Amino acid sequence: MLSRVADSLYWMSRYIERAEHTTRVMAVKLESMIEQTPQDAAASWSRVIEALTGELTLDATQDAFLTTRKLAFDRENGAALITSLSMARDNARQVREALSNEVWENLNRLYLRLAPVTMDSIWVHTPARLFREALEDMHALEGVTYSTLSHGEGWYFLELGKHIERAQLLGRLLDVHFRGPRDGSQNMPKYFDWLVLLKFCTAFEPYTKLYTASIRPQKIAEFLLFDPEFPHSVRFSVDRVTDALARVAPGAPPARRAAVERLAGRLKASVDFGQIDDLMSGGIAGFLADITRQCEKIHETLYASYITYGAETVL
Amino acid sequence: MQHEVFANTEDFGGPDIVAGTGRISKPGVDAPYANYELGKPFDEMFSPDGQARATYAAIDSRVSRLPLEELNRRQQAVEQSFLHQGITFTVYNDNQATERIIPTDLLPRIVTAREWDRIERGLTQRIHALNLFLRDIYTDGRVLKDGVVPRSMIYGSKHYRREMRGIPVPHGAYVNICGSDLIRNEAGDFVVLEDNLRVPSGVSYMLANRDVARRAFPAVFRSMGVRPIEHYPLELLATLRSLTPFHEDVSIAILTPGVFNSAYFEHAFLARQMGVELVEGRDLLVNDNVVYTRTTSGLKRIDVIYRRIDDDFIDPLIFREDSALGVPGLFNAYRAGNVMISNALGTGVADDKAVYAYVPRLIRYYLSEEPLIDNVETFLCREEKSLQHVLGNLDKLVVKAVGESGGYGMLIGPHASQAEREEFGRKIKSDPDNYIAQPTIQLSTAPTFVGNGVEARHVDLRPFILHGSETKIVPGALTRVALKRGSLVVNSSQGGGSKDTWVLGQ
Repeated sequence: MLSRVADSLYWMSRYIERAEHTTRVMAVKLESMIEQTPQDAAASWSRVIEALTGELTLDATQDAFLTTRKLAFDRENGAALITSLSMARDNARQVREALSNEVWENLNRLYLRLAPVTMDSIWVHTPARLFREALEDMHALEGVTYSTLSHGEGWYFLELGKHIERAQLLGRLLDVHFRGPRDGSQNMPKYFDWLVLLKFCTAFEPYTKLYTASIRPQKIAEFLLFDPEFPHSVRFSVDRVTDALARVAPGAPPARRAAVERLAGRLKASVDFGQIDDLMSGGIAGFLADITRQCEKIHETLYASYITYGAETVL
Repeated sequence: MQHEVFANTEDFGGPDIVAGTGRISKPGVDAPYANYELGKPFDEMFSPDGQARATYAAIDSRVSRLPLEELNRRQQAVEQSFLHQGITFTVYNDNQATERIIPTDLLPRIVTAREWDRIERGLTQRIHALNLFLRDIYTDGRVLKDGVVPRSMIYGSKHYRREMRGIPVPHGAYVNICGSDLIRNEAGDFVVLEDNLRVPSGVSYMLANRDVARRAFPAVFRSMGVRPIEHYPLELLATLRSLTPFHEDVSIAILTPGVFNSAYFEHAFLARQMGVELVEGRDLLVNDNVVYTRTTSGLKRIDVIYRRIDDDFIDPLIFREDSALGVPGLFNAYRAGNVMISNALGTGVADDKAVYAYVPRLIRYYLSEEPLIDNVETFLCREEKSLQHVLGNLDKLVVKAVGESGGYGMLIGPHASQAEREEFGRKIKSDPDNYIAQPTIQLSTAPTFVGNGVEARHVDLRPFILHGSETKIVPGALTRVALKRGSLVVNSSQGGGSKDTWVLGQ
């Protein structure tokens, strides 16, 4: 596979994952805010903004309308839903020949549907509805991707992009909930916020099946970090990354392959053998930061090994 | 969504699609042809007395019976489908990038088996002569020594590539992919307006339009025995393969300028349809005169490049050094015979305005045959007899400077003032070699759906000729349409659209 094609597939997939994450968080947030006091809703918005954009907002009275615009439709915002989708589509367009018609058309149609949406038009109805519908389209996109593309090297680059991104997004979301507020206020997440966190990750029902409906932060952390079977757990994504790395660049020199696989193995070990009790006694922020760092390192090494390597090194 | 069904039950058969059920639509009178103007130009659908030609009877019968809303609905569904498929080009203004589809018309343009036979034989003859000519001027130069074509015209052409001299080209096939623009004159004969021998585009629209017309009129399509064109990518692949001696395991790539090029959709489309790599200049590198692509597993050798980049940009070491699209060292790899480039470099010398005028003579010179398809009548001012004719008829002719394009250095005689004509006449006399003249060109008109009915619009015809170890012309073409009423400009950049072309089996 051409390195440039692998690069575009990888980024297309990362951006789609980011868009889907944003969409899901927005849908849940807009649905749940009506049940919160204004203060709690504002604190919750602050966490969402930080998780999605990395920005620290000290303003405790977040306006839902403006925040939604910023997070979903503001093209100036590099992390906005529409920006991610547009980037995903630009990458897809560059590798049209590596995608099926179905994948391209689903993605293109989704973008063309969301591109002209104005805040006023969604605010007159139930704002969450647009995000729910977009989420359905994204699930359809995921479905056609799974069922119309050969599960060869290209597909595994999509997997890599999706799960490296997902692990990091999850890490950030957990971090803002477990680390406590940075603005010095005492707005620690409450019972309802933990429930919402599970819903941000479509994890509520899978969680209750395992732990019953008793909502306990420690169990939530354990589930979202270490569950081996739930698709939105960090460990699940790390497993997919490890699997995918074994399937890409089959002809690459062993030394190059080893460099990436070693890093993935190390990351896998830290989530396979992580103990939630150890983490809860103070180390969760450090652990999450370490996961993020390891993901970044894997990304860099993946690129150096298969995509941006100097031609002179192989001639 | 892509395969939205337009058809209602009638589209799958029934009495109404049988031609000649008694109802005769009159252009300029009956809906939907109330605004259909028949003028001096040849009309594809109606004879001068307003009778629908037999080939269009089935279409006429179907179109006349479909309510306008239904035609509009089908038109919109087509546009949606193009947008979703990404069959678009991007227009930039004020930092705003807008994606537009190239408008496509529902109604097919029909070419009879007899007409096609002549076109096919004529274009085959023409591509042979043009390739012989290219081989000649890049090797012995016999045609120049014999004085058939003036030496200065070739060596002075900015598309002549000195670097190509003496380089062997497989099968002598310099031009492997050609798109010739034909028009139908007032007498109803097809003539060649222009040959595109460099990087002709549009074939993806030919194929996309087929999808459109077939879905818009399924029963009519089926009843008429339209010849298939879907094998074009296979033929193209075979043509490219025939350029290398190794037929097994040939590694072929399409070289595209990238996603910002207006024909990018076509490049990606052809790569997918043929199952070959789509590469950009930055994916390729040359080492020891061998071309490689950078893959995730390492470097992979490339044997044949179907380039969709102009000569000038292909190799910054040899041609334009500011080109970021090309590949340094590519030309040397080509010269060394380690990679085939298609079309060969330097083919543009044979499609400029001056050489165009010589093509009929080239056919006689190389093939000892009379041209089966004529050129648009062209007067070369470098020849004394023609010069006198041109100077005496400036009010009837279009005069063009051979080195110019895009309408510069041009006199449109019938629209110019007496003073302008006199001024231009002096220019011609002072440098006759630089000018050619043609009668004002009429394009035929064809029925085109315009929203509130069907009107006549000017069309041309671009078939695609493949030429490797053998010559193949898929029985179809891109019919370009000037969508503005009365306009003769069919270019997509200036309000042109396109429509499907049905070549009939008998």
